[in-house]
Amino acid sequence: MSKKNVVIEVGDGAAIPDPEDKGLFTAWRISFFGTIAIICYLIIAKPDPYLDIIKFLPDGIMVTFKVTFASIGLALVLGLIAGLGRISKNRFFNLAASTYIEVVRGIPLLVQLFYIYFALGNLIRVPDMVAAIIAMGFCYGAYMGEVFRAGINSIDDGQTEASLSLGFNRSQTMRYVILPQAWRTILPPVGNEFIALLKDTSLVSILAVSDILRRGREFASESFLYFETYTMIALIYLMITLVLSKLLSNMENRLSHYERR
Amino acid sequence: MRGNDFSKIPTHAEDFCHVLHQTYREKKMLKKFALTLAMLICVSTTAMAQKTIVFAVDATWPPMEFLNSDKEIVGYSIDYMTAAAKAAGFTPVFKNVAWDGIFAGLATGKYDAVCSSVSITEKRKKTMDFSTPYFKVRQALIVPRDSNVKSLADLKGQKVGGQIGTTGYFAIKGADGVVAKSYDEVGLAMEDLKVGRIAAVVCDDPVAANYAMDQYKDTLKIATTIETGEVEFYGIAVKKGNKEVLDLVNKGIEAVSKTPYVQELQQKWIGQ
Amino acid sequence: MNAVNPIITIRNVNKFFGNFQALDDVSLSVDPGEKVVVLGPSGSGKSTLLRTINQLEKISSGSIVVDGQEISDPKNDINRIREEVGMVFQSFNLFRHKTVLENLTLAPIKLKKEPEKEAEKRAMALLDKVGMVDKAGSYPVQLSGGQQQRVAIARALAMTPKIMLFDEPTSALDPEMIGEVLEVMVTLAREGMTMVVVTHEMGFAREVGDKVVFMDEGKIVEIAPPDQFFDHPENERTRTFLEQIL
Repeated sequence: MSKKNVVIEVGDGAAIPDPEDKGLFTAWRISFFGTIAIICYLIIAKPDPYLDIIKFLPDGIMVTFKVTFASIGLALVLGLIAGLGRISKNRFFNLAASTYIEVVRGIPLLVQLFYIYFALGNLIRVPDMVAAIIAMGFCYGAYMGEVFRAGINSIDDGQTEASLSLGFNRSQTMRYVILPQAWRTILPPVGNEFIALLKDTSLVSILAVSDILRRGREFASESFLYFETYTMIALIYLMITLVLSKLLSNMENRLSHYERR
Repeated sequence: MRGNDFSKIPTHAEDFCHVLHQTYREKKMLKKFALTLAMLICVSTTAMAQKTIVFAVDATWPPMEFLNSDKEIVGYSIDYMTAAAKAAGFTPVFKNVAWDGIFAGLATGKYDAVCSSVSITEKRKKTMDFSTPYFKVRQALIVPRDSNVKSLADLKGQKVGGQIGTTGYFAIKGADGVVAKSYDEVGLAMEDLKVGRIAAVVCDDPVAANYAMDQYKDTLKIATTIETGEVEFYGIAVKKGNKEVLDLVNKGIEAVSKTPYVQELQQKWIGQ
Repeated sequence: MNAVNPIITIRNVNKFFGNFQALDDVSLSVDPGEKVVVLGPSGSGKSTLLRTINQLEKISSGSIVVDGQEISDPKNDINRIREEVGMVFQSFNLFRHKTVLENLTLAPIKLKKEPEKEAEKRAMALLDKVGMVDKAGSYPVQLSGGQQQRVAIARALAMTPKIMLFDEPTSALDPEMIGEVLEVMVTLAREGMTMVVVTHEMGFAREVGDKVVFMDEGKIVEIAPPDQFFDHPENERTRTFLEQIL
């Protein structure tokens, strides 16, 4: 009873391009090169204000990246712990992980961001960006937990039994046998969460973290060029997510080498 | 005062029922008449001495105008206008009206004026008349209670917060070497200031006063006020063309503005 | 009775799955070097019995002593006992993300801290033994079922176990591949490995088995040497079973 064909579908990130699609006109190519073309056109044809907007944003883009990568790192760690907790036979660990996931999934992300950001501020003194990262990581950790659980469960029990029969204990089995295989099943949904998280970092702009969106809003509030500014912001987000989805697609392809005959 | 009308008082009785009815009607009329008379007398006597001006107030804007714990409308503007009324010789009546629709009520004559921290703008001037400014909005620098900061210049290299798109935020951006940080709401900036994520906040001084003297009085204080290029004033709005009320209000404001009472009010409500 | 102590002693073992009794007061002993073949209809509990020996199934009551250690005693490290007991599964269960060679070296390197070079050298020797040297660099998915099962046997042997358990090793194979796997098992038996084999291969049982254990409905019905078992079965149920099979 092999479970190798399990596909976990989580669809709130971005469409990951199918590496098998060899056509010249893929949705990815149309979007990506289209985006670049529009950005270039706007900058060249109307440098005022588009060039000014672009010049205003780079540090915001850096902040978005920093928040995204740090949050995803934290979310992966928390997700792994929560996922292992969910399948653990230890009652306390299991209950703690399930409660964490239950609570986090029941509260809108924005509300949690506010809550953690300000609650944390009253407990410990951490810089705004760190607070935002903790908040994002904590929320996404719960979603990751479910992805990890599903990924681990998708691995055939026979793999565990074979590993145990050789003398590996449960955690060694997880580390050497299950997780390296689960990673392949987990990667697409994790990639999806990654891109979803990148987009959701725009919410931290509400917490006054100077990401792309906040930088854009600051520019717009001074220049009153709301339409132009948001056009640029949308294009930049789109370009980043498209590049990331392509990278993930390539990575997925490489990780699946042992499944090819 | 209109002429008396006693013609309807019955001089002879008809049938009992009718009389009864009539008496009742007449009684009612009498009562109405007496009431009208009393009011007319009242109004005419005050008119002779003092005119009443009804001000619409959205009492949700501490410390300028708000409801105290006894549900009375109080605040800087209320004290100011009361003093102005005394100086100009009119009786102020303050009526609590929601901000949404406050100018529509002015246009339809539900009240004579709006006294509700209304900023004088060119756009508003097209639809209503404004009095002489009675309050100049300045930008206040709020810092933690234990801070030694005296001005924006002391905050080089540090983060200072302000509400996005406001005069305060632009003042921070204009300050040399200060890292400007924009917030959606000024309250969020105050919260971050309280927990130490930023070093100071710049905002309108009435707003600053509200935070530094009320919610955060144990943690925050106003370090100084900042003069900025763009100056904003609050004025009393009256219906376009209502010269009578406008003149009275202006007379009062001009009188009060020359007295030390303004400083007193500033001290009392804004704390500087 | 015996000159040597049994390497596996199973005493009065019961196993319940909820209300279902999979093993009913089972007792069995296996001497070092002995080849025990377990037969029985499906659902008779023979696989469950095999899996209790390395505690892939925990027993509900009774005692199992492997190489002098009581396996249900929490003081004994079950993982060390399992190193002594190799197991081959019906569905091979090779590690899908590892090459054939890595499948053999993973446990020796991680558990016995064998140097990589030495582990690989031994692994290649074992692959040679099962005739799989040329597939050392392949991934399991690239191998046929028979090839995978031969690698799985080599993987179990890489831990140099004292006992080998086979859980229907040929049941999932196409008929033309059964021979190559049985061949490896016969070779192993000739070398003196202690083996407990659950199978439907009567030829193998007769050729290799020292004793045949017949199970039905969770009970051991009959234990006998192969010749006696196949030619003169004592029990009625055994006879019925053999008539259906042969």
